[in-house]
Amino acid sequence: MASGNPKQEAAGLVFSIQHFCLQDGPGIRSLVFFKGCPLRCVWCQNPESWKPIPELGFKKHLCTNCRTCISVCPEGAIVSPGQIRSEKCRQCFACTDACPSGALIRFGKPLSVKEIREELMPEYPFYQNSGGGVTFSGGEPTLYPEFAAHLAGSLKRDGIHLAIETCGLFHADPDTLSASGTITKKDTAQTAHPETAGRLLTLADLVLFDIKLFHPEAHRQFCGTDNRMILDNLAMLARRYHQKGGPLIWPRMPVIPGITDTPENLEGWGSLLAELRLNRLTLVPFHHLGEAKREWLQLEPGPCIHTLTGESMEKTLRVLTKIGISCFAPGEEDWPEYISS
Amino acid sequence: MNAQQNQALAARMEEEQIPETGPAYREPTDRIAAIKGDLFASPCSLCLERPILLQRFPKTAQGRLGKKDHPLVKRAKALAFLMSERQPRIYDNELIIGNMTSKRTAANYYPEGGSINILEDLFRLEKRQIPINLTFPEKIELVRVGLAGLFSSIGGRALLKPGRFVHFLDFFRAKRYFITEEAGIGHQVGGYYNVVHQGLQHPDQIAGTCLETNALPDGTPLNRDQVAFYQSIRITIRGIRTMATNLADLAEKMAYQPGMSDKRRQELLASADACRHVPYYPARTFLEGLQSCWIVHVAMNLEDFEQGMSFGRLDRILLPLYQKDLEQKSITRETATEIMASFQLKTCETLPVYSERIDQYFSGNGVAQGITIGGTDENGNDTTNELSGLILDAYAQIRTREPALHVRVHEKTPSWFLDNAVATVQLGCGKPSFFSDKAVVAALTQAGMSTEHARDFAVIGCVEMASQGRTYNSSDAALFNLPLCLELALNQGICYGRRHFGGRMGAMTRPVEQMQSFEDVADAFRIQVEHAVAEMVKVIGWLEETYRIWRPTPVNSMVTEGCLAKGRDVTWGGALYDLTSIQVAGLADAGDSLYAIKQLVFEQKRFTLKELLHILKTDYRDHPALQQELLHQFPRYGNGIPDIDRMTQLAADIFSDAIIAHRNSRGGRYIPGIYSMTCHIAFGRLTGALPNGRGSGKRLSNGLSPADGADRKGPTAVLRSAASLDSRKWANCCALNLKFDRKTVSGNAGRKALAGLFTTYFSQGGMQVQANVLDAEMLRAARNNPAEHPGIVVRVAGYCAYFHDLQPSVQDEIIERTAHGLG
Repeated sequence: MASGNPKQEAAGLVFSIQHFCLQDGPGIRSLVFFKGCPLRCVWCQNPESWKPIPELGFKKHLCTNCRTCISVCPEGAIVSPGQIRSEKCRQCFACTDACPSGALIRFGKPLSVKEIREELMPEYPFYQNSGGGVTFSGGEPTLYPEFAAHLAGSLKRDGIHLAIETCGLFHADPDTLSASGTITKKDTAQTAHPETAGRLLTLADLVLFDIKLFHPEAHRQFCGTDNRMILDNLAMLARRYHQKGGPLIWPRMPVIPGITDTPENLEGWGSLLAELRLNRLTLVPFHHLGEAKREWLQLEPGPCIHTLTGESMEKTLRVLTKIGISCFAPGEEDWPEYISS
Repeated sequence: MNAQQNQALAARMEEEQIPETGPAYREPTDRIAAIKGDLFASPCSLCLERPILLQRFPKTAQGRLGKKDHPLVKRAKALAFLMSERQPRIYDNELIIGNMTSKRTAANYYPEGGSINILEDLFRLEKRQIPINLTFPEKIELVRVGLAGLFSSIGGRALLKPGRFVHFLDFFRAKRYFITEEAGIGHQVGGYYNVVHQGLQHPDQIAGTCLETNALPDGTPLNRDQVAFYQSIRITIRGIRTMATNLADLAEKMAYQPGMSDKRRQELLASADACRHVPYYPARTFLEGLQSCWIVHVAMNLEDFEQGMSFGRLDRILLPLYQKDLEQKSITRETATEIMASFQLKTCETLPVYSERIDQYFSGNGVAQGITIGGTDENGNDTTNELSGLILDAYAQIRTREPALHVRVHEKTPSWFLDNAVATVQLGCGKPSFFSDKAVVAALTQAGMSTEHARDFAVIGCVEMASQGRTYNSSDAALFNLPLCLELALNQGICYGRRHFGGRMGAMTRPVEQMQSFEDVADAFRIQVEHAVAEMVKVIGWLEETYRIWRPTPVNSMVTEGCLAKGRDVTWGGALYDLTSIQVAGLADAGDSLYAIKQLVFEQKRFTLKELLHILKTDYRDHPALQQELLHQFPRYGNGIPDIDRMTQLAADIFSDAIIAHRNSRGGRYIPGIYSMTCHIAFGRLTGALPNGRGSGKRLSNGLSPADGADRKGPTAVLRSAASLDSRKWANCCALNLKFDRKTVSGNAGRKALAGLFTTYFSQGGMQVQANVLDAEMLRAARNNPAEHPGIVVRVAGYCAYFHDLQPSVQDEIIERTAHGLG
């Protein structure tokens, strides 16, 4: 598993593999969602990806109150459907296996390269006929540098186009991270070893690089960590791309009303991107779809974020366009011809 | 390598000579918008002109004289009378003329068919889901016409006979099967190539020569029936000519009405000129070609009934005329597109008439007048041409319920065409549907068609198959309830629940206690299917006999190869290829259920078969957790899992083999089709709980689609499962429906993804697929009524979930996002 010696990494913790995704790289793609993320963005749409350990979720609206879970739990941790005493739960997942309606669900399962490849292989023809491929997402795929590189290598040997979606926080040693914010060492994984993350990135054809808040303090406030390393990584990858030594870097920014779409933030990123000669940006509009998942995980509700309006989106576009950044909606990017053909 | 690919692509683009398309052609012209506006402003109604004229005919001098005529001649005379006497009507702006009924948007009434069922709704015609507007005197007339035809319907004549009463009940109850052929046979792709390029003078001359020489074209002397047949052809052609002339006269009269604009006068005079010429003589222009098709199409509708009357491969048929007109500069691509759009709008004048009871089986108000585009010639060379794109562009202008558009796809289908077709899907009208040449040709040749003829296939109605102008395919003869046969197999031929009138409905198969293995269950299932199919074939045979006497179809026969050579009407077996097709509902439910029985009873041994039977009889009342497990956790068809898909294959084979074993009374083959209109809803209401967790009365799976909610992995997995099935026996094709949220598949990326989805499916052996792109309003309907809209694919960047997995508040969020058009 992720924590501990990366050399022993036999499996990656994956919480979902989803096919026919059209908005995370060119063509028809499968997304491999890795579990575990060093950031804690307040708007996160996949909070089940945060912890690098398997978790139990409960979808109340699917529960039929059959009480099967109570009868199968060996620890007696389930008081009533959906009410689980976390101190008693030993994460054996007998309840999710037995739940007939799918209300109790397990997020995160260690999968081997072979298992993931078997799941992806029948989809290869769809990638090939649409100029698509596989995208590693999450969570943060670089949390599993060895494993992800291993998987990436096997996909590349099959001739599959590979994209990696990253939050950008993949260099440096664990101490920096635990000291940097609200996240305790217990629920974060180690960040990647520089060399191995490098290998993973060289195997990718495309890196979807998430950019969020430009100001370090703001980043710390909304994403839980400092962003210096992210900025450095972006610059490093851009340099390598321009020197033809690395994958295509394509930044993506979630447009979070009042948080990332402030003029200062947009201008900050805009001028950095211009400086790095990355003049294309995907804007991912904010939505509230992550909130339901917080309920499934019995997490505190996130802060109230306003719904994104067409006007504020236009304003964002205006600011960025003025700096010379071409903006795209997810799935509508003008990928360079060599990727999509 | 990439540079090479680019070069290859550029070379291919040059070679392909991509015809122009784009918004300029796809936005409605003022004329088209005006015609569409008029059509939509006129309420749906019912036209009684046809039955009134047909009932009047026997009382006319001509009718009285012909009392002792041969049935074929009698029928032809009545039809000719109908066609000559009906009032011609020409509407504003239209470029193709010829009214389908006496009203703008109305159903024709077929007393000899199934139209009488509309009397069930007599007192609430306006309150129906699809209201029918009739004045009070019209209602009285409807009752009179209906009652006068009470005992002359085909169904009545065939079944209200001694010894056939039990079958009449079975037929009326429509539990195991629903015989559509009772309403009419319809479903034809006439030989429009010959209609357009040779004209009806060709069959007229053949019939004339045969009658003169008193011999078939091959020299064999004619018998009495054959003489009557050739007479019926000549009489009917005269009727069609009169109908065309009447239209021409009216067009001329209107042209010279005071106040008529010069432009419109020219158009009307052109129409008049066309209608004096076609369909009897070969068409001289593109406009005449379409006008010719339209008049013959109206005649086909008047003769039989409206369902599935299709035009075939219009891109191929009309290409020579289009090219000639372009050369002579008498049309441009714009004007040709407008003519085509006006033609397509004519198809919106027709609608079917069903009572709401019957509507459960066939809702949607469609009659599916199919136009097939793309594909290959007899030798397998691509025939996609400029008109293929033009037909799509014309449809993009109108975006209506009719016509049905069908795109043939093969390895050399040009990418511009596929792109245009997928762009048309993105409009959200569910059109066109896509067919794989490879799979369809393989199935048709297996059913006895020559490869050359199979390659000239065109789609009848929604998905059914014909070699255009060569086939008489009663392609929608009946629909079959496959899961019910499993219910009967587990219960010795008796339905669960309320006892069936007369006791046992199916065969007496052995009780579950005596079934020792899964093979025993499969055998009992097979016996029940064979039993039901045999019963159904018997009833269809009686209908076929009745058709031969009471309702032969001379118009159909003159446009179907074989009839004129053999001197035989299509209903007498005249066509080169004669087929009867039976469609199955609930295929995936049957397959998943067989798998569940095998697992639960014989492998995991969690229940005995007797216990399982009890659970099913009581509709999982005491086993809600088991039902949930079966529905949500058990492997199901549609997720690309070979073991389960094999069970669906088994169910399909049991059905197909039972069908293929029979011959119809014309000597033709029976062939299976895998689609179910909306019959899966009506059949579902009559079917008890199934071992796959589907509750009693719930709707069944439709066509080749997975059971409701069973597809957990998205459209690629559904397509993998569907493509893995062997379709070579399905000569009447199959229907696989995918539903997407509009935002998910919008734009260039969406277009490319859909094209990639379809081409991959076809390269893996898939046969047919259609995609519905849902807008916010449709998604709202889906949220309110999840059971009606399973498996909608929604994708949001970096986030994904099946629409129905989400709680209603999240579904709202997705819908609003769609409404705002944001990512």
